[in-house]
Parts: sequence; structure tokens; C-alpha cells
Amino acid sequence: MLLPKFEFHEPGTIKEALELKKKWSSTARFLAGGTDLLVHLKKKIITTDHIISLQKIEALSQIRDNKDSVEIGACATMAKISGTPVIKEKFSALKSGVDNLGTHLIRNRATIGGNVTNASPAGDSLPALLIYKAVVLLESLDGKREIPIEEFFKGPGKTDMKVDEILTGFRLPTPPAHSGAHYIQLGKRKSSEINVVNVASFLEFDPKTKKILNTRIALGSVAATPIRALKAEALLKDKIAEEASFYKAGEIARTEDCKPIDDFRGSAAYRRAMVGVLTKRTLATAFELAGK
Amino acid sequence: MKEYDVISTRANRIDTPDKATGRAVFVDDISRPGMLYGALLQSPHAHAKIISIDTSAAEKLKGVKAVITSKDAGDIKYGVSPARYDETVFAIDKVRYVGDEIAAVAAESLDIALAAVELIKVEYEILPAVFTIEDAMKDDAPLLHEGSPKNLCAEVHQEFGNVEEGLKNSDIVITTKMKNKRQDGAFIEMQGCIAEFDNLGVLTLTSSTQVPHYVQRTVAMVLGMDVGKVRVIKPYVGAGFGIKASANPMELACCFLAKKTRKPVKMNYTRDQVFMLARARHQFSHTITTGAKKDGTLMAIKHECWLDGGAYTSFGIATVYYTGSLLGGPYKLDNMSYDGYRVYNNKPACGAQRGHGAVIARACFEQQLDMIAEKIGMDPLQLRIKNMMETGDTTCNDLNMSSFGMSECIEAVRKGSDWDKKKGHMPKGKGIGMACGFFVSGAGYPIYRSDTWHGTVIVKLTEDGGTALVYTASAEIGQGSDTAFAMIAAETLGIPLENIRLASGDTDMGVDLGAYSSRQTLMTGHATKDAAEHAKKQVLEVLAEQLKVPVESMDIRKGFIEFKGKAPDFSELRTRYIKEHRGWIDNPKSEKLTFREASRIAFLEKGSIVGTGKYKPHLLGGKFKGAAVGTSPAYGCSAQVAEVTVDMETGQVTIDKITDAHDCGKAINLTSVEGQMQGSVSMGIGETMHEEVIFDKQGRVLNHDLAEYKIVTSMDMPMVEAIVVESAEPNGPYGAKEVGEGAIMPTIPAILNAVYDAAGVRLYELPLTPERVYHAIQEYKEKNNIK
Ligand SMILES: Cc1cc2nc3c(=O)[nH]c(=O)nc-3n(C[C@H](O)[C@H](O)[C@H](O)COP(=O)(O)OP(=O)(O)OC[C@H]3O[C@@H](n4cnc5c(N)ncnc54)[C@H](O)[C@@H]3O)c2cc1C
Repeated sequence: MLLPKFEFHEPGTIKEALELKKKWSSTARFLAGGTDLLVHLKKKIITTDHIISLQKIEALSQIRDNKDSVEIGACATMAKISGTPVIKEKFSALKSGVDNLGTHLIRNRATIGGNVTNASPAGDSLPALLIYKAVVLLESLDGKREIPIEEFFKGPGKTDMKVDEILTGFRLPTPPAHSGAHYIQLGKRKSSEINVVNVASFLEFDPKTKKILNTRIALGSVAATPIRALKAEALLKDKIAEEASFYKAGEIARTEDCKPIDDFRGSAAYRRAMVGVLTKRTLATAFELAGK
Repeated sequence: MKEYDVISTRANRIDTPDKATGRAVFVDDISRPGMLYGALLQSPHAHAKIISIDTSAAEKLKGVKAVITSKDAGDIKYGVSPARYDETVFAIDKVRYVGDEIAAVAAESLDIALAAVELIKVEYEILPAVFTIEDAMKDDAPLLHEGSPKNLCAEVHQEFGNVEEGLKNSDIVITTKMKNKRQDGAFIEMQGCIAEFDNLGVLTLTSSTQVPHYVQRTVAMVLGMDVGKVRVIKPYVGAGFGIKASANPMELACCFLAKKTRKPVKMNYTRDQVFMLARARHQFSHTITTGAKKDGTLMAIKHECWLDGGAYTSFGIATVYYTGSLLGGPYKLDNMSYDGYRVYNNKPACGAQRGHGAVIARACFEQQLDMIAEKIGMDPLQLRIKNMMETGDTTCNDLNMSSFGMSECIEAVRKGSDWDKKKGHMPKGKGIGMACGFFVSGAGYPIYRSDTWHGTVIVKLTEDGGTALVYTASAEIGQGSDTAFAMIAAETLGIPLENIRLASGDTDMGVDLGAYSSRQTLMTGHATKDAAEHAKKQVLEVLAEQLKVPVESMDIRKGFIEFKGKAPDFSELRTRYIKEHRGWIDNPKSEKLTFREASRIAFLEKGSIVGTGKYKPHLLGGKFKGAAVGTSPAYGCSAQVAEVTVDMETGQVTIDKITDAHDCGKAINLTSVEGQMQGSVSMGIGETMHEEVIFDKQGRVLNHDLAEYKIVTSMDMPMVEAIVVESAEPNGPYGAKEVGEGAIMPTIPAILNAVYDAAGVRLYELPLTPERVYHAIQEYKEKNNIK
């Protein structure tokens, strides 16, 4: 398996990158970490005449803490995100998502922008971005555009990004007090795994009444895109945060929210069952963390 | 006990500096002036008639030097076992699996070669294909090979003792089935080779192989050349696990391309081609009935197995015999029957892989032992001790255990795992299980019927007397055999390991059947010892003459000559030696005569001192059909305890610890022995937990890379406590025997027994994906009304 031939460009700014992209349009592709792109090129799943590397554009890999929100550059690597203090402290579900992606070697290269653009239903960072209400930041020569992450995924490998746009990053509002979140991925082995099911849950509660104020649950690998378990979320609203509620939410997520398929990695029936278990478990841990 | 100076230590491996610094040369690191690159055209169809092949467009492509098909390579059949040769280099009339070779191209670059392959036009007539044993055995099934009705590749029927009687006299009779999945060896280095002819017509094939000797013979036969005109060299190899234990079609195609172009040609498999060639562990479907007395005495085994063979025989005829012959031991058992069937179908051929033929049978049977123990209320460990064979015992199918540290192994894992405290006292969701196994230390007979020596070795002393060169055609493939033979040579000669230089893996160095059936330590080890003794004897004979002392009164240790009683005056010899080295500053001053002096004097008297050694096993085995398979001069044995945690909601199994004890006879290098034990456990865990080659409906491998074909990662590996148990094997060099394959035998059943202990479910199919375990748990809960 050899790489096909292409022309390689290495712009230093977002503007230059956008100009190149405008010029070559759909015959060009951006390169971030290359851990999806190069694999797809080698396997001849895609072809391209031009590769526009984003690796020289420093602005794209920054992570900024704005106190009320954090901005993560599209080219921030999984390793970098994992090691950033504000992520560790306030976005534990995202940290666990990026920590579970691939291996050390892959995490040193793979970027969050690449993971989102690749839009695999099983992508490890995606459920966390959904439950933290991430806003996708896009830019083209015509200007900037923002879109909630829920609206960004259109299908396996498909997103709302336009041909002449670049993904510059994500803005995640800082979670409120008395909230917590957790992510669990289930695969066949403990590392380097393509998820059979992955779930992230966010939960905010009122410490006085123990009532759930807000919850968001995201399910991966059970539909064409990562999805929110809206019915399970609705069920939890104003319920007491406790094991029984989490169990019920899991049952709703399992029976009503997901639409998994059979493939060689796992059957729909098993995926469904695991949505129930992982929803319950992520909520329980999110609650535990919220109490801390 | 005898004291050793070199063996039985943790000497550093002699290949470590090369491997640690990246200087170890593998096939793909090698390049030759003017070298061409080869590529294969392989069938996209599982079963099709070839109507025509048009290579004209490919030949016209600039940079293409040769395009070859069966027209060039001919119709000579080859394979592994001569009685079962059923392959040709290129398909002649039809293709039998997705990947069957049709043509090959040599070109100036790999890019061009690959482009040319795409330009070859083949007209096919698609034939109906079969992918399962059931479909292949149907009355109207398409036949893969003429002369194999019902696609039956081989069948074996054996009975020892009287099984019916044995079962009738049993108090407990248990029948279960067990099925694994087709494996891939998943070695890190994909096969590759370079073929080149010199101007005198001598062919040198440099290849990533476990068996230079068999490759040499196959190449010579298929190309119609003298064996002496074919040289096969194995550089460093990144493992093989059995898959590289025979000549592959790429090696042969490469030789034909080199012959046609008169240029060196290099070829490599990509990872998906490795999956396409396959030749790894079969899928086995076992049905075993085991009978026992109330007191736990094993009475009889009735064993039936179906092997999903794929398109060709490969090692399959040996596999189907091994499956039966390696079951009964390590337990005393008088009655055993076996009916084995290997069936062709339109998938890539299966072959040999670590624990050849025997691993899944053991997984089935060792679970039954636990079931019997449970029924009679006996500790499963105790049940095994009760039935265990002992040194000197012979199985009902004539395999003799000339040394057998089985009870030491069981006691070692009992203690190492704290079995007595844990068994029956684990919290819910946690479990402990054990199993035993045994394996050959080298096949008793070569693959082709012959009286050949299984290994020859040359030890040559350098003229300065300081160094011994060891030449062996054996195959270091990562297991540490070079180091073991250097250690054996050093020990035998009585000199330090640093004074050995060893070269291996080259058919010009002699005959060695290679790295398979865990044979090299015992067999090549013997030949090495023999050669070193021969060289040593020649040195001592010269000394005896010069010093007027009997040979028997001398020995060599740690680089010095030892005399029994008073040392004779050797000053004359020393003066003679020193005179030869005017200007040298390291002349010997030691009180004792050095090996260096003695060996230099021997050279001065006799010319080159060359010791030759050889080995072949004594006559082994019974007289029945197939008696040869399973015979070995010695058997290693092992016991393992697995501790697991089962997530009762998700079905995820975590292996917490493996305690592994293995009787390898005398451990030549303790660290290497532990390495093999760890490696075996890791492969065993992979098979138990993750590994499975998956096909689509057209017979194409779906998961043909190491992302989707899941071997264990370091994160999946538990703590492995490897306990080396030593016994004195009379048939082994210094008492050494195998560890390379035997150590995998108990792993799967030990885990399965632990999972039962943890979750109450028995699993009869591998791998233990979370999903499979989950469904088993659900079924168990429903049956037992557990919420
Ligand atoms: C061995 C291995 C293991 C893996 N394991 C996992 C895993 O466990 N979980 C998981 O989720 N994924 C896994 N992956 C997939 C991959 O690593 C991730 O999806 C990774 O995040 C992709 O990021 P990248 O920077 O490498 O993207 P690239 O390959 O560089 O790009 C991916 C796609 O996104 C586009 N793109 C990238 N950045 C931008 C941008 N800023 N603007 C517009 N378009 C952009 C590219 O043009 C390309 O189409 C694995 C991959 C490998 C090779």
C-alpha cells in the first residue's frame, strides 16, 4: 500500500490555507495529524491532488481558557488536550475521551478537529463535545461562522463544513457548579480499539433538593452520527439524582433513543443493551463527580 | 547437580546490541544494485475458471522487465507434505480463493510493478464457491480439487484401548463441543524476499522464513534445480509462529522473476496479503466425550474434530493428526479414540501455528476436567494431580515422557497463585481457573520422509586459537535460538560466551530443519554440542600428544585447560605460542594453560580444527497409521492458573493475573525461557479474547489489518508470573527441551475455567468478546431466574 502522488502545501496562516483551499477546492484536502487522512489515502478510500498541511499554523493548536468558556484549536492534539489543566479540572469527560483514543503514538498526532471532521459515529472525542455543548468554529474567506455541534454531524464522514471552509476550533462553555460528566467507551480490547459503544453523560443537580437540573447524554456507535439521548434526558429532568433514576434513563436510552445496526464489530442487540448499561454508569459517575 | 559456567544463566542475547540499535538487518532493509521490484496478481474471486490471461499491456508498460504466469512457472505441484502437494506457483486452470496467485511482474520500481499488475487482463468464469464445512460437504457442492470427493482433504480414524468399554465403566460421562475462530499469526514482520542468480547459475534467495532448508528443497524442486545450486539465507526475522514454516508462493514467484530477468528481484507482502496467504491456525470444531470414575480416575476420551481447511492442504495433514495425538497426555489414560476431518473450501489455506493442532482440543478437554471435578466435589487441581503422568510413562498412543515435571509445575502454580486460599473464595465476578498441557520438543520425523539428519552444525576454531565459529543452518526468528546455541557451544568447549561467534540461517552452513515444532533447542542444540565436543576432542588430542598425558585426564573450563591431578609442565608450549606472537602485548601469563594456547598449538599441528556435529532422533512411536505425528524425543509440560474479573453487565472479561509454570528440562537461558512463556501467554490470551479472521460473503477477509484483527496490546496483558521448572531430560542436550509452544497449551482453558468460576457460565466458542460473554450471562440469568 503506497501513498498516491499529490502536491504538498504548507501555509503559515489560516488565510493562506483558505486561499489555497479556494483555489484547489474539492481537489485539495487539509492535513492535520494525518491519522485518518493518510490511512484513507493509502487504502484508496479517497484520492486527492493537493494536500494542505495545517501543521505550521500555530493559531490552530492553541487552547485558551476564557474562564466562562474554553476554546480548543482544531489542531490541538489529543495528547495536548489531555495534558491541559483546565481540561483536566473542568472537562473530565473530554479528557477521558481523548485519553481513550488510539495509542500514545496516535494521540501525539491525532487532532480534535480531525476527529470531528472525520465524523465517525464511534469517534472518541465526539460524545464529550456533545454533552459540553461545544460550538463549532468555522472560517472561510467570506468570514466566520459558528454552529452548535449537534447540528454539525450529517452522517458517517459527513459534516456541515463547506468546501471552502476550515474548522478553526471549538468553544465549550465552562460547566456550572454542582455538575459533573463522565465518558465510557466499550470495545473488545483495552487499547487501540474501535468502539462498539461509547457514551458520555453530563449532569447538574441542586444540592439542596438533589433534583437533576440539567442533563445531557450522548451516544456513540449506535446511529449514523453520535446522537443525544433526548428522551432519556427528558425523563431525568427534575428527578432525584439516584441509582434508580439513572437505571431508568438507561432503559429509555436503550429502548427509545438509539438505533444501532449489526456489523462485524458487534450486533445491534448488544449495542442496545450496552447503551443501557453505559448510560446508567456514566450518569452515576457524573453525579459522583458533581457532588465533589 | 552439575555446575555450569555458561548455560543455565541469564546471559545477554547475542542479537540484543543489533536489535537495540536498529542495526539488525531484515529482508526489507536489504537492497542490491540493479534490483527490481516484484508484485503479484492475485485472484479477486473465491472460485473461478481462468479462461484467458492477457499480459500484453502490462509488458508494454515502461519499466516493466518481466511478466510471468503459469506458462513460465510450469505445473509442478508443491506444498508441505509430499503426499499432499496440491499447489502450483500460479493458478493454471482455476483459482480457489481470493488471493490465489495468477501472475507476477518485475519492474524498475514497486509503483510500476503494481501499475503493471493492474494492466493484466484475466477473463474468469465464476464458479460457485463454498466457505463453510457444511456447505463444502453437501452432495452438490462444487469440488475444489479433483480426487477429493466431498471436499474432504484428509480424515483420520484412530482408537487406542477400548473407548466404549471405558465409557461404560465410567460413573461420569461428559460431552461438550468447542469451537475457535480462524487465526492469523500477526507477526510483526510481513514476509519478504530477494531472489538473485549469479553468473554461474546459482540462485540465492534471501527470505523471511522459519525454515531455510524446506524452502531450499521446495525452490529446487519447483525450479528444477540441484539443491546444491540453491542457497537460502534467512536474515533477522520478525517472528513466524508457524506461518513461515514452509515455502510461500511469493518466494517461488520471486525466484522465477529473477531467473527470467537475470536481476535481483525483491518482493514483499503487505499486511492484507499476509491475511490472504493465511496458513495460520485452523478453525476447529471439537466434540469430546470424557468418562471418569467417581474418584476422579479418567477412563476414556472419545474425540471428533472438523477442521476448516481452506483451499489447499498446507500443513493440514499434520494438523489433523496432531489434533488427535496431543490430547490424552499429560494424564494417564488407557482408552482414546479420534475421528478427525479436514475439509477444503474457498478460503485461504490454514496451516500450523504455535501449539500446532492441539490448542483448541485442550481448551475443550480441560474444561471437562473441571466439570468432572465439580460433579464429584473435588478440587480441579487435585483431579489433575490424581491423573497426571509421570516420568517414564507412555501414552496410549505411544508417546514416551522421558522426563516430566508435571507435578512440579502444578505445585508451582498452586503456590504461585495462592490457589488453596483463592479457589472457592473469590468474590462474585472474580474467578480462578487452571489447566495443564504438554507439547513436543521437535517433531520426531521430518516433513518429507527421509533418514536425513535433522540438524548438522560446524564448530571451527580460528587459527589464533581465541575464538570458536559456530555455523548452523537453524533459524533465529526472535526466539533466541542463536544465543542458546552460542551458549551450548561455549559450555561444551569450556570457553566464555564472548569467545563464540555464531552464524546461522544459511543453507550453505549445513542442514537444519528449522524453527517449527519447538525443535531447535533440543535438536540443533544436540548437533551444536556434538560439534563442539568434536572440536574440543581434537584440541585435547593434540595436547595429549604434546604433553604426554592421557586425553581423559584433561578438560577445558572457563577458557583454561584443567588437568586431573598435577598439571604437567607446559612451558615449552607456552614459549612456542609466545614466539608466534612477537610484538603482541596480551601473551598469556596465567598459571593455567589457556584454551587459546592449546587451540593455537592444535592448529599448528593439524591445520584447521573443525568439529562437526549432527543429530536425529532415535526411532520413535508406534506402528499404527499416523503414529509418527506427535512423536518427539521429549515433551515439555506446563500448568497455568488464570485469575479473571467478569463484568456481569457488559460481559467484559479482564484477566488479572496468569501464573505459569513450565518444565523445559534444563533452561539454557532462563530469560529466554521466560520470554517464550510470556509470549505464549500473550498469544493464548489473544486467541481466547479477541482474535478472529472475519470474511465477507465473497470470501474476502474483512479485518485484514492489525487495527481490526485484534491481538493483545500491552494494556490487555496481565501480570504473568513465569515459573521455570527444570527436569533432567535424558534425550536433550544438557537435559534441555521445549518451551516455545507447550507454554500456550493451558492458557485458553485456564481462562475459560476462571470465567466459569467468576460468572457461572461455560463458553464453548471463542473468542470471548464482551458480546459473547454477555449473551452467555443473559442466558444463564434467564435459566436461573436471576435479575
Ligand atoms: C491506529 C489508529 C487508531 C485510532 N484509534 C482511534 C480511536 O480509538 N478513536 C477515535 O475516535 N479515532 C481513532 N483513530 C482515528 C483518528 O486518529 C482520529 O479520528 C483523529 O482524531 C483524526 O485526527 P487527525 O488530526 O489525524 O486528522 P487528519 O487525518 O489529519 O484529518 C482527518 C480529516 O479531517 C480533515 N481536517 C482535519 N483538520 C481539519 C480542519 N482544521 N479543518 C477542516 N478539515 C480538517 C482532513 O482533511 C481529513 O479529511 C485512530 C487512527 C489510527 C490510525
